Amino acid sequence: MKLLGKVLAGAVFAAGFTGAALAADLTIAVPNGSEGDGLRAAAADYAKKTGLSIDIVQAPYSNLFEKAANAGATRSGAYDLVLMDDPWLPFFAENGYLEELGPYFRATGTDGPDSDFLAKSVALCRNPYNTGKYVCLPYVGNAQMFFYNPKVFRDHGLEGAPDTWDKVFKVMEDITKRGKRRYYGYVLRGQEGNPVVANFMPVFWSFGGRMFDAKGAPQVNDAAGLKGLEFFLELKRISPPGAESFNADELGTYLLQGAAASSINWPAWVATFEDPKQSRVVGQMSYAPIPSGTKLGSSEIGHWLVGIMKASKHKQAAFDFMIWATSPAQIRISAKRGNPPVRFSIFTDPAFTSQKQFRHYPVLMQAIMNSTPRPRHPKWPEIENAFGVELSKAVAGRLGAKEALDRANRAIEKIIAR
Amino acid sequence: MERWAEEHLRYLLLAPAVLVLLALTVFPTVYMFTVAFQKFNPADPSASAFIGFANFARLLVDDKFHNALFNTLFFTTVSVAAEFALGLGFALLVDKHLRRANFIKTVLLIPMMLPPIAVAITWKLLYQPQFGVLNDILIRLGLEPLLWTSSVDTAMASIILVDIWEWTPFIFLMILAGLAGLPDEPYEAAELDGASAWQKFRDLTWPFLRPVITITVLLRVMDAFRLFDQVYILTRGGPASVTETLSYYIYKVAFRFFDTGYAAAISLFMLALTVVFSMWFIKRMRLED
Amino acid sequence: MSTPPATSEATRRAPIPGRTRQKAKAALIAAVIVFALVYTVFPVLWLLINSFKTRLDMFAIPPIWLVTSPTLENYYQTFVERAYLTYMANSLIVAVATTVASLVIGTMAGYALARFDYPGRMKFHLSFWILSTRMMPPIVTIVPLYLFFATLDLLNTKTALAIAYTGFNLPFVIWMMKGYFAEIPRDLEESAMVDGDTRLGALIRIVLPLAKPGMVATAIFCLILSWNELLFALIITETTSANTLPIGIAGRITQYKVEWGEISAAGFAACVPIIIFAFVVQRHLVRGLSFGAVKG
Repeated sequence: MKLLGKVLAGAVFAAGFTGAALAADLTIAVPNGSEGDGLRAAAADYAKKTGLSIDIVQAPYSNLFEKAANAGATRSGAYDLVLMDDPWLPFFAENGYLEELGPYFRATGTDGPDSDFLAKSVALCRNPYNTGKYVCLPYVGNAQMFFYNPKVFRDHGLEGAPDTWDKVFKVMEDITKRGKRRYYGYVLRGQEGNPVVANFMPVFWSFGGRMFDAKGAPQVNDAAGLKGLEFFLELKRISPPGAESFNADELGTYLLQGAAASSINWPAWVATFEDPKQSRVVGQMSYAPIPSGTKLGSSEIGHWLVGIMKASKHKQAAFDFMIWATSPAQIRISAKRGNPPVRFSIFTDPAFTSQKQFRHYPVLMQAIMNSTPRPRHPKWPEIENAFGVELSKAVAGRLGAKEALDRANRAIEKIIAR
Repeated sequence: MERWAEEHLRYLLLAPAVLVLLALTVFPTVYMFTVAFQKFNPADPSASAFIGFANFARLLVDDKFHNALFNTLFFTTVSVAAEFALGLGFALLVDKHLRRANFIKTVLLIPMMLPPIAVAITWKLLYQPQFGVLNDILIRLGLEPLLWTSSVDTAMASIILVDIWEWTPFIFLMILAGLAGLPDEPYEAAELDGASAWQKFRDLTWPFLRPVITITVLLRVMDAFRLFDQVYILTRGGPASVTETLSYYIYKVAFRFFDTGYAAAISLFMLALTVVFSMWFIKRMRLED
Repeated sequence: MSTPPATSEATRRAPIPGRTRQKAKAALIAAVIVFALVYTVFPVLWLLINSFKTRLDMFAIPPIWLVTSPTLENYYQTFVERAYLTYMANSLIVAVATTVASLVIGTMAGYALARFDYPGRMKFHLSFWILSTRMMPPIVTIVPLYLFFATLDLLNTKTALAIAYTGFNLPFVIWMMKGYFAEIPRDLEESAMVDGDTRLGALIRIVLPLAKPGMVATAIFCLILSWNELLFALIITETTSANTLPIGIAGRITQYKVEWGEISAAGFAACVPIIIFAFVVQRHLVRGLSFGAVKG
């Protein structure tokens, strides 16, 4: 009897260990956050509709990249679909981790994604950029916008729209001066790596800076780039102290609490701004395209793309899901869940734009159309990190602008040469 | 059968542990050793090239590595020294005056038992320059608010403070346990001889506690040397790399710059340093077996 | 301390300073203890308070100390919307499994190292090697361990986590139990063996019960380490069926923002079992660690 008890206990215990080695009909890897939650919810709907079993692997952003890169390199087939940040695409595509979608489209009688997708959004999904074969479909249409409080700006002398950096900087500087360390005109993020680079690129581009010249060699330290960084450091001067360690979360918090008047940030924050449980500035924020410097302001595009891994064992099923999830009806639902759409029809739908929490759609669509993607280099993750290390030191006051850009340029040269 | 087991008991009892540890460490160690001599390409391992000692030579000239090494040594020394002083002090105090105060003892133990990620986010909130409570306290006391983890000058001190908060209880616990096991007679005898408190500590307590202190400090040094979690959550190695520890640098090299070979070389260096220190420390505290 | 005055003469000559000094000392000690308690408890209390705040209140300027408009939304999100209870169950299963395994294997090894002689300097080298397995920087072991478990087809299983954590716990268990057994006099087993018992039998019937406090203490450490571990859980697990608590907490950090309310709730919820556990086992912890005096 005692023996039986022990065996039963052992069996129950062992049962607690039957791990789900990923054996579902479809396995989708997504990041933490509203985009991952959105695709997860869509997958749950799809599973109910079709009766398929769908496993979701949801991981922190950098961990997701590592997992997907690992799965690609080991050809494990662990994931069928991956929701990627668009700068990852060249890395995944060039290393051959993604399945080409051409044959699947042709089997349905089409050439590729339909024309309702925004041109810039679909351009991201081709490798090489804009001209090559399709390797994914866009799912969330992010591009940076300029968030600002129009009343405060007007009170400090803004006339018309905040369309140039010169105009806007005067206002922001005044706000910080009068704010007496309680209220700031602008918030900048300077944390090393992706945060500072993503915040710097729009400024860099609006002063004519370019990462690479026509031959593909880095030229971040040319005259235009230097002007861009010098202006960026001016923005740091009028930002709250500690900006050298800020990330997107701090940017949002300062604006939400009404402690700062403007910043460059991602549309994911708009819903939070309009939520009375999280925001002191409900209804007070306006959204504008990135101001211009010597060139037209251009925001950094940052879409989330869904692609099929080459080692997947359920490619057709994955493709069917992808097409369904990016269809107008599903993108509409995704938009209601707080993820910006990638389709023209939804961006311009009055049913959305008439609502308060979607009033930024026209600006966002314009931002996407004028956006610049991050350089489509397969080593971009490395390049961004190297660039970010030097930029962050400049923001922290450890390096001068020229020295930081020179060092960054050398580091990028070394990475490309490898 | 039983006979055979009895005769070979000394090896049989040891075998499972050795096997488990071997299985879990031999592959990573071999992996580390082979990869450290290559220009390893994680995306396409077959394209890796053997480059001899080049990765190790790079250690000599890489100023980011030197920065990380300095940060780690500084952090480990200051943190463990402070934790030891505080832990020892509190253990002596509690053992003498509060031996039966179980509630207090338990409360003082809690920080080391909490999930490090919970600890990290709590302190991240406390350290916020504009919105955090610590600065509010400073302002109310009439002092200047600090930038804590957001400034090049105070970031490392802030990280050290978190580590002290989290791990002093460990040293406190181990020494308290050691004190609880002390015999009474030598102390009574010393009392009769008119020994002072300091003499009793130096001649009786310290030698008794030496084994406990050795293993405790050694464990703390080993763990502090590998600091990663708090850096990852609180500062990401910044601002301007002042809090970049060796573990965080290895993480960057391996997973941001995809240079697995160099990461392995740095790891081997770390391992060697730790081994050398441990052997020296154990000998110094006269604890050979 | 100072020896009490031997004569009433001495007491008459210097009564006040002696007593005042003792009172001052007591007050100082009390102040130090109170400061230590406040300093220890405050961050945890702050986490608890924040878990009931909306994001609006969490970042108010000037900071709001107590909760002005409490909300249960954070806990609702954590437990109802996101499978936090599943994570807790997973963490518990893995923690118990690895503790049992570590204790069994580690106690056997600790006993062997305490009692037996080995050829040459094998014992020292073995002991040092066991300790050194804890010196490896975890970052480098990530990829090889991932490959190791992938080959065994154990990825995304609680089994893999339990095995990995046993690897971490073993060195500590072995060193602790070795020290513990070294304190238990050999005569007990010797006399049992003289009476005809086998050494194994003597170990199980006589020595182990005496070693219970030490085993309890090391079990506590194993449970805590497993409950709190994040890095390997992130690497080895993929889906909710295997994810553990720390992953649930880390999951509230996203690319664009940190869900501070939810992460506070999740963080504090992870601390509650530990705090309760601490009160239950504190006595055993000190007792179990001291009887062996943790010798090398």
